[in-house]
Amino acid sequence: MAEASKSSINLPQIIAVALVGFFAFRWYMSKPSGDSSGSNPGSTSAAASRRGQAVDLVKVEQLASMFPQLDRRTIAWDLHRNGASVPATTERVLAGRGLETPPVSYQPALPSPETQAPAVGVSAGSSGSGTKRTGLKAGQEDLITRYNLQGRVGGKGKEAVTKEEEQRKMEWSSDKVARAEGLKRRREEMVLAARRRMEEKSRDE
Amino acid sequence: MNSVASKRLFQEYKHLTTDPPDGITAGPVNEDDLFVWEAMIQGPEGTPYEGGVFPAELKFPKDYPLMPPTMRFQCDLWHPNVYPNGVVCISILHPPGDDPNHYEQASERWSPIQSVEKILISVMSMIAEPNDESPANVDAARMWRERRGEFEKRVRLDVRRSLGL
Repeated sequence: MAEASKSSINLPQIIAVALVGFFAFRWYMSKPSGDSSGSNPGSTSAAASRRGQAVDLVKVEQLASMFPQLDRRTIAWDLHRNGASVPATTERVLAGRGLETPPVSYQPALPSPETQAPAVGVSAGSSGSGTKRTGLKAGQEDLITRYNLQGRVGGKGKEAVTKEEEQRKMEWSSDKVARAEGLKRRREEMVLAARRRMEEKSRDE
Repeated sequence: MNSVASKRLFQEYKHLTTDPPDGITAGPVNEDDLFVWEAMIQGPEGTPYEGGVFPAELKFPKDYPLMPPTMRFQCDLWHPNVYPNGVVCISILHPPGDDPNHYEQASERWSPIQSVEKILISVMSMIAEPNDESPANVDAARMWRERRGEFEKRVRLDVRRSLGL
């Protein structure tokens, strides 16, 4: 009798404890994102201070699960630009327009580049140092990678060589988007031109 | 919103877009925040940096142009006046007034009549002519002074690598 009543009291208690424990565990795990890797003690405070860049992680994750091929940072950037509208980003991806490459200095506090990195594989090295990438290790990635120009350097310098003069004398557009595009194009052209010249130079030698 | 700083930065952006100096591209990373820029500087000709393109981030204080921005290269730049973490050490980026160490003239330091363009041009010439009086990267400065050949070789290698070659 005593046994039975004891167990009947205990069972809900055990379940309650298990539930509370489970949520506490989840809460704990989700909070100090990069901490578990332990490699970067400053990451939590830095990440916290970066919350200022207000990224809606739920929306980012939602989109990332819909489009696993997309980089979370790219998604966050698009959300940041369109006023955090998931439908707008979805629309954009589905329409085949693709997402804009986020500028290098846009480093939102994404869940945990450290823990994502092994799964994603490449680019782990650079994204892993999200909080301190601005410095030392930034140099590890070359400019071609940095500006996503891999697709435009295979041509052995035979791709359309835009006249530099043309690039330099830019019209000042009254449209913000056009201006940003123009700046991006000039930056990319600068890198590509430098690479072409370097390739020619090493061929000559 | 700090309208004085924003207006001024916007004007400078416009000017740098319509009439950019040779080998320099600069503008805000995102026009919604005019206080963070990305600049690209070409390595000066006739130096080991020739052929390279060096991206840097400029961060402007809210009281710009009273106070100067900070500048930080986003790539490896082995140079006596660039800290190993990429931060540029050059007199034009130092706050206005007299240098407590009397190394620099007040006129060399930042003042509101300077501009982003002048900073970038100064940095370009700093790249070409290192100043080893107050080195930011002591190892690079020593190598530059004592083993110039090795210094130039290392820089050339960095430049090639930065272009993915």
